[in-house]
Amino acid sequence: MEVADRNNREGIMGWLNPGRYGWERVSYWLQRLTGVGLLAYFVGHIYETSSLTQGPDAWAAMLELTQTPMGHLILLLVIGMSTYHSANGIRLIFTHGGKGLGKPGRPDYPYDAVSLNYRQKSGIWIALILAAAAMLYGASVLLGGE
Amino acid sequence: MAMLRESQIMKIHYITAIAALFVVAVHILMRLIMPYSLSLEYGNVIANYHNIPYVVLLESILVLIAIHGFNGLRVILLELRQSKAWEDGVIILTIAAMMAVIAYGTRTIIVASGLGFE
Repeated sequence: MEVADRNNREGIMGWLNPGRYGWERVSYWLQRLTGVGLLAYFVGHIYETSSLTQGPDAWAAMLELTQTPMGHLILLLVIGMSTYHSANGIRLIFTHGGKGLGKPGRPDYPYDAVSLNYRQKSGIWIALILAAAAMLYGASVLLGGE
Repeated sequence: MAMLRESQIMKIHYITAIAALFVVAVHILMRLIMPYSLSLEYGNVIANYHNIPYVVLLESILVLIAIHGFNGLRVILLELRQSKAWEDGVIILTIAAMMAVIAYGTRTIIVASGLGFE
């Protein structure tokens, strides 16, 4: 194949392909999706709280929009996203510092990456479990009628 | 265009992440020290904004998450496509958006805390 014929610019489709590299790819994908979701929430939250400056009526009107079952579901999603993003982010900080990667080894068939070991996989699972637990606790607070 | 090395930017990314974890945890705890719906009442929220240490905490959350979030967006956009024009455009856009969000959030904090202009 001619080098010029290769199309390596997969763009967002390459970014969205979670199947090619296993769990670490899923984690990579989730870290970016949750990051973008949290940034959108952050901007929305700043806009939401700015209604405070217009007095109690504007604040009450904003709460009527956000403190609804749909608003609480979005908040639960934000709790899950932020917990996953934080826990997985801590794993990534250690990984980028070279911790938990294991020792380099000879590439043997089926050529599994040595770096993608049980420590990394369990880190991803711990992040997912913590996110689920945080969402359950958030649901008890938001939907518990307190 | 880049004034800092990417390794320095990533250190800032990680430091803002760890710092944000602590300040956001305190921010969430402030919603849980009383029943959640009560904590959102106008009087209670304004009382939070009149507490100077809490105002400092809110401002630090605003700055830390804006830096971390918009740098994260920059990284994602640079992973999608690479060219000089794209890179410069993404850097300008994310820095401008970050500054706009910090300015708008700071205005809310100043007005709600009664420290400045209306």
